[in-house]
Amino acid sequence: MRNLNNMSMKETVITLRGITKIYPGVVALDSVDFAVYENEVVGLVGENGAGKSTLVKIMIGFEQSEAGTITSSTGEHITLKDPVTAIRYGIGMVFQDSSLVPNLSIMENLFLCHELGFQKFGFLSKRSMRDAARSVLEEVKIRVDVDTPISEVSPAVRQMVEIARLLWLSKLYKQKNPILILDEPTTVLNDSERETLFTILQDLKQQASVVLISHRLQEVVENSDRIVILRDGKNVTEMAASDASISETEQLMVGHTFSADRYREGDQTSPGEEVILKVQNLSKKRVFEPIDFTVRKGEIVSLVGLVGSGKEGVCKCITGQEKPDTGSIFLDGKKLSSGSPSNAVGAGVGHIPIDRRNEGLAAAMTVAENVNLLVLKSLRFAGLISPYLERKNAKRWIEECLIKTPSLTTMCANLSGGNQQKTVIAKWLSSHVKLLVLDHPTRGVDVGAKEEIYKLIRKLAKDGIGMVIMCDTLEEDIGLSNRMLVMKDGRLVKELDCPLNEKPSPSDIIDFIV
Amino acid sequence: MRKRILSSLVTVGRWFRRTGVAGQILSLVIVIGVFAIGTKGKYLALANLQVILSLAGIPAILAIGLHQTIVLGAIDLSVEGVVGLCIVFVGILMRNQYGPYDVGLWIIPITLGVGGAAGVVSGLVNAKLKIPSFISTLGMSWTLYGIAIYISKATTVPLLDHRIQSVVNGNISGIPNIAIIALVLLIIVQLVQDRTQFGRYIYAIGGDELLAKQAGIKIDRIKIIVFTIAGILYGLSALFLSTRLGSAHPRTGTNLLFPTITASAVGGVALTGGIGGAKNAVLGALIVTALNDGLILMHVNPYVQEAVNGVVLVAAVALTIDRKKLGFIK
Repeated sequence: MRNLNNMSMKETVITLRGITKIYPGVVALDSVDFAVYENEVVGLVGENGAGKSTLVKIMIGFEQSEAGTITSSTGEHITLKDPVTAIRYGIGMVFQDSSLVPNLSIMENLFLCHELGFQKFGFLSKRSMRDAARSVLEEVKIRVDVDTPISEVSPAVRQMVEIARLLWLSKLYKQKNPILILDEPTTVLNDSERETLFTILQDLKQQASVVLISHRLQEVVENSDRIVILRDGKNVTEMAASDASISETEQLMVGHTFSADRYREGDQTSPGEEVILKVQNLSKKRVFEPIDFTVRKGEIVSLVGLVGSGKEGVCKCITGQEKPDTGSIFLDGKKLSSGSPSNAVGAGVGHIPIDRRNEGLAAAMTVAENVNLLVLKSLRFAGLISPYLERKNAKRWIEECLIKTPSLTTMCANLSGGNQQKTVIAKWLSSHVKLLVLDHPTRGVDVGAKEEIYKLIRKLAKDGIGMVIMCDTLEEDIGLSNRMLVMKDGRLVKELDCPLNEKPSPSDIIDFIV
Repeated sequence: MRKRILSSLVTVGRWFRRTGVAGQILSLVIVIGVFAIGTKGKYLALANLQVILSLAGIPAILAIGLHQTIVLGAIDLSVEGVVGLCIVFVGILMRNQYGPYDVGLWIIPITLGVGGAAGVVSGLVNAKLKIPSFISTLGMSWTLYGIAIYISKATTVPLLDHRIQSVVNGNISGIPNIAIIALVLLIIVQLVQDRTQFGRYIYAIGGDELLAKQAGIKIDRIKIIVFTIAGILYGLSALFLSTRLGSAHPRTGTNLLFPTITASAVGGVALTGGIGGAKNAVLGALIVTALNDGLILMHVNPYVQEAVNGVVLVAAVALTIDRKKLGFIK
């Protein structure tokens, strides 16, 4: 705790108080406080949906809060209406996916929107821009040809260019202690690049503050001075990084309290004997190492691991979105041809994607059309699609899946996230899939709808559908699954049974994950 | 000495790669080479080269205007309507056999103004009303064309003021004036693209509009200006087209859209936006003109020539767009 007291001697550069942000149906932030002190690296951690991204988006003016105040170092209340305003106060963000314009060169991106300082006789002087670009990039220790288009440089260089741009802009606006927000900066980097990044961040601390967001708790604990933990859009606690341990932090992020039957464990069924999915020696270069596993009838198998552990890659190979380098996938004993989504669907592999708005359903089509999309063949009468059969089928599955929709012909875009997700599930249910890959099925869905989605998942299991699932939280993984496969750095490191009443605790599993 | 030549060659090579015209110059050389052989040298006769340059002038001016809308990530299909309307103004206001008016050389700012006004409207409809440029400019084209025919009653008006005509058809030491005008415009627009903030913003918007907006670029203003420049250049082309013929007829503007878009695409202006400049547009116009001229000299059936142009357009787009980066093709 002594460290925290020391911290209070430092000046704050920005203070956010009582920040509340409400999205339709979800309270993303509930009266959150957050301060950044000068010359520090502060780690901002929390599970998916805890509100980290929303909080930093408000800090850079990308989103506006419904309530709360933002105060600058001078005690002045500031309104951040857009990123352009935020950068004038020295607040900038390096995004997960680069925010540089791909067709412009490094130099052009560095000074975008601030070119006029380089004007000579009405024209921009490329020479003086080049010189300035080189000296700006010197600060982050990269040497590149500044005329290279951004689309041709590595993610590590892009990141450094973004950092350099933010530093340069803060200097331009005479901000003594800029705030750099880094959202998952290491997901795109390899080990040595990661090390370089953190060395540079420690250097930058002399002249700036850094807000670090990362799934990799270890790197947050190792590289921050202070850690702020959010959960369900609320402050949990903050502590000096030197006092923090990874497992303790993880527990604080997850929270202890949750209702006994939150994931409807009571409805958990034991899987059948028959093997539905058999994955043999499957591998993809630089994504995951050869992996073998099976999923039985009615079994829920959860893949857990950090972002980058390779679990997403495995799922994409099963659904045919990606082509594996080696190995084969058998469904009901029949080999699937690899890398073909249509073949996978035809064989009976369903996929509930994380990005349901873009991949899961056709938002501009009606609920009924979406539900019927895969079974149109069976809804024909005399060779033509029968509106009567279509309505009948849609009605049946809408009732069965508890989709709350004003009518059969409501556009999917107008449904809530939870009901959209239920529509996606209904689509697969009606098409009699054998195996379902669920990619974060409760992402961005409110508590009530979560409950109903859990109910549906149990029902799917009871009907004998095998499932491969990746969840938002470890708790959810444990609660839902019959069996868990832990992946780390592209390898399957542990297999755990999760039978009813004998579920492992999160802390048992975290050790394998990190 | 050899070292110096080598290093300057490397510099030239790098310049080509960076400016993105290496492929276009190569295609031009190939086209010229093939027809030079095919016509047993007739193609390379001075008179023919002059014809190519003078024919390429107007498509080049149109493409200098149109390609910038493509670089923005939009497109401008209003060429034919704008040119048609401008020509009607020429037919009414220049000294002619039927009408009472004679504005003399004031016709130059008037046609440029009419074209520019049409461009402002296209830009406003696209940027402010948020109507996709494909639709807004297509609608614009038909609207203006309709107005042009209605006003002119589709009559042909012989012009009696030949001052502009003599400039358009003249030449300076063998080089057609129209080609020189196109070259001057090319230099100005290219310089703006390379060396001004405005130029930089066009490319930033074409590269990623959302990012450009976040960086603080006033997107709407840039879009409107780009459409306006395009309109002004269509107005200029309209003036040249009608005075060159010595008569004003609104249908003179038809069949201009296809060659202009083909020129931009062949020149290497990516239809996904953000790539290619004025030099690409002009080279594209030159390649397309050289190709058509060669086909004529080889006595290829005119309908086959049209088919060849169609194939060239699709092939050029296939080569300039990195389709791997596009999720879906619509």
